[in-house]
Amino acid sequence: MSIALRGVTKQFGQYAAVENIDLDVPTGALMALLGRSGSGKTTLLRIIGGLETPDQGQVLFDGQDATLWPIGDRKVGFVFQQYALFRHMTVFENVAFGLKVKRRGERPSAPAIRTKVQELLALVQLSWAHDRYPAQLSGGQRQRVALARAMAIDPKVLLLDEPFGALDSQVRHELRRWLRRLHDELHFTSIIVTHDQQEAIEVADTVVLLNQGKIEQVGIPDEIYDLPRSAFVHRFLGQVNELPVLLRDGRAYIGPIDISAAAEVQTGSARNIALIRPHEIEVGQASAGWPATVLAVRVIGPIVRLDLCADDRPIHEPLEAEISRERFEAERFTIGQRVGMRFRRWQVYPAAA
Amino acid sequence: MGRLLLIVTALLFLCVFLVLPLLVVFAQALAKGFEVYYLAILAPMAWAAVKLTLLVAAIAVPLNLIFGVAAAWAIAKFNFRGKSALITLIDLPFAVSPVIAGMIFILVFGTHGWFGGYLRAHHIRVVFAVPGIVLATMFVTFPFIARELIPVMQSQGKDDEETALSLGATGWQTFWRVTLPNIRWGLLYGVLLCNARAMGEFGAVSVVAGHIRGVTNTMPLHVEILYNEYNYTAAFAVASLLALLALLTLAGKSILEWRQPELRHAVRRPRDRTRRAYS
Amino acid sequence: MKVNSSAAAALMGRKTRGVLPGFGLTLGYTMVYLSLLVLIPISAVFIRSSSGGWAHFWEVVTAPRVLASLRLSFGASLVAASINVVFGLIVSWVLVRYTFPFKRFIDGMVDLPFALPTAVAGIALTALYAPNGWLGAWLKPLGIEVAFTPLGIVVALTFIGMPFVVRTLQPVLEELDREVEQAAASLGASPLQAFCRVIFPALWPALLTGFALAFARAIGEYGSVIFIAGNMPMRSEIAPLLIVAKLEQYDYAGATAIAVVMLVLSFAIMFGINALQNWAASRHGER
Repeated sequence: MSIALRGVTKQFGQYAAVENIDLDVPTGALMALLGRSGSGKTTLLRIIGGLETPDQGQVLFDGQDATLWPIGDRKVGFVFQQYALFRHMTVFENVAFGLKVKRRGERPSAPAIRTKVQELLALVQLSWAHDRYPAQLSGGQRQRVALARAMAIDPKVLLLDEPFGALDSQVRHELRRWLRRLHDELHFTSIIVTHDQQEAIEVADTVVLLNQGKIEQVGIPDEIYDLPRSAFVHRFLGQVNELPVLLRDGRAYIGPIDISAAAEVQTGSARNIALIRPHEIEVGQASAGWPATVLAVRVIGPIVRLDLCADDRPIHEPLEAEISRERFEAERFTIGQRVGMRFRRWQVYPAAA
Repeated sequence: MGRLLLIVTALLFLCVFLVLPLLVVFAQALAKGFEVYYLAILAPMAWAAVKLTLLVAAIAVPLNLIFGVAAAWAIAKFNFRGKSALITLIDLPFAVSPVIAGMIFILVFGTHGWFGGYLRAHHIRVVFAVPGIVLATMFVTFPFIARELIPVMQSQGKDDEETALSLGATGWQTFWRVTLPNIRWGLLYGVLLCNARAMGEFGAVSVVAGHIRGVTNTMPLHVEILYNEYNYTAAFAVASLLALLALLTLAGKSILEWRQPELRHAVRRPRDRTRRAYS
Repeated sequence: MKVNSSAAAALMGRKTRGVLPGFGLTLGYTMVYLSLLVLIPISAVFIRSSSGGWAHFWEVVTAPRVLASLRLSFGASLVAASINVVFGLIVSWVLVRYTFPFKRFIDGMVDLPFALPTAVAGIALTALYAPNGWLGAWLKPLGIEVAFTPLGIVVALTFIGMPFVVRTLQPVLEELDREVEQAAASLGASPLQAFCRVIFPALWPALLTGFALAFARAIGEYGSVIFIAGNMPMRSEIAPLLIVAKLEQYDYAGATAIAVVMLVLSFAIMFGINALQNWAASRHGER
């Protein structure tokens, strides 16, 4: 099922949670709504799921106006961060809940319910746990039960609100990959809310970045990472080094490096900043590039991070560079060493007032 | 040394003010032996009082239970203006003297009260009759269940209910199958406290009852009558039943607190619990 | 009824409800039940007392017997609440900080005054403190008479007020960070200094709240007092008892006048406690 939002606005008192949102979710997409807390991502998800009614605008399901459909009629599977498993029911009863509360005519027979629940538990690899209570399961297992429960009603859309937020990083990683595989197998439309850009990029095929109730950018993960449309998006999607762009004699510089050739430089009186990701800094011999001193070296498995104090820059604002382990093994940078920096890529934005 | 002194002081204080009063009830009740005790308890008037007390509690507690669940649902699951004022109003009966609690129903339903003429014309007795006793009991036990349930429901949030609705459950199905099981211990806790007060209320009931023997005497009133007739053994015998009820209530309360530690300290912390409503 | 349902409708006016059903039903029911059982009957007291006119009201509440009963009720409640603050602090401290046999049992027993019907408490305390009672027999040779004197009233009010102080203090004491005390000790403070300068400042809002709760309960208390008080006009007659006496003489104007004085004071204490708790909460930033 495809979902479309048209001009959706929701106020809480004086505070606009989401403002005039237009968004299309094609059938079978796995879309991530990414943003900080308070960006409106959860409100948007709740509006799609029917847990909130928008003040203005429309929610379309397959082109039909579903704005005021009651939640029970929408066929959405909801998964919450805190699982919201029914504590007094076993895993089996939790998953069967959506089937058992159907109206008499629509309710499957008891054996049919049992078969269906067992299928779902097999799908989430929890067949062994069907008579356990939620309290007896780990966080990751609980979230898989919640997912199975949501899928029991054959939802057209799966809505996941920070589903892995309460789990530790190892389990998060596994569950993300598992969710992605599941989605590829079953092909329902899914929307996942997260504040973790890593998670969004890893799991989704479209990322929607929200900021203060508005959409900053929509795109596939590569695009949004490589071509951020604003400094906000650029900063949000990973580590960045920020350097002022200096204008001298009609040419633009980052430190001593002349960047005038790059087309995107805006000349004029506006102050600009350049954002450079750590892996976009190339570190080499002191003779070439912007001279700098190595302040710190941290080896983190396959990568190595260097803190660099560029000449003419304050020492308490070092730049962070990321190089491969192989390169580090070859060059053997040491603290205090003089090096030269070059920038492989950068992006220039007007500095915020 | 200081520690020992503190413990001894505390225990001595509790002994004088808690243990001795409780012991003296049973000692006096059994002062003339078990036979006299049984006779006092099995006396027809005593039985009538027991039955009336049970009847009053059987009406007042369920009504306050329904109210408590409704109030907690509205307050814990929704935001609306005037919520804090409503919570304060629910606590109001705790600030009213039991005597005044009884008096207000005389003012409304008594011979010279607002509805006195109407009630007399239709031969309905409220004051000096069972309905008055029930009303006064309902008034004094009014806040108990609501104030236990409000924080319990608030702490549980709305996720469970929203999930149930998204899975296609109706409002009633959600309430019966999801909400009620979640709040059952808090509910029981409130019922326990409400029931203890309902069966033990004296001041309010005494004002509206009119002391008609065998008709409007609850157990606490019967204790008073026996006591004022210098029938001490019988008075303490009936009192011992009420003391037993109190001990059972405390035991039940301790068990529930052990099952649900967050219920502890729930008896009398009006503000800090309601404050959570807004955080 | 009409007024209340429209008030409920006004409360429902804003559209941020979410999807859970039953808001109108439950809030409406709450308002109706609250109004019928609590608000309207209480308003009867105020309406009745004003029907006689201000002059009559003043005349009733300044009658010597009424003044004496109010003075006794407030005085005895004040003394009892003060006793409870001192011993309640000790009891809650001991229960929170130390371990000793039967601690759980004793902790549970603290709620006995909540659970024990007041009439039972009244006759039990009377039996204890009567001249031939377990404690009265000891006190009599010392020249201390408790039963049937104002002192007896204080004893009864101390009994019923005690859990309020203990149960208000306990959670605050439990949350009190012991490391702060240890830090004070490591900085050279004596235990007494640590208590006065570190613990007490964190405790006094709860102490004051417990005091106010015990005080408010004591003012209105009836059942546990009347047996032990002696009930002599001008000497050991509490205000609630005087209300009952006036009701029995069908002197509704007199009874409601005293009731109004007590209600106004009780409500004032209640709002004071609310304000205090909110203030303490905002100051300490506790949630």
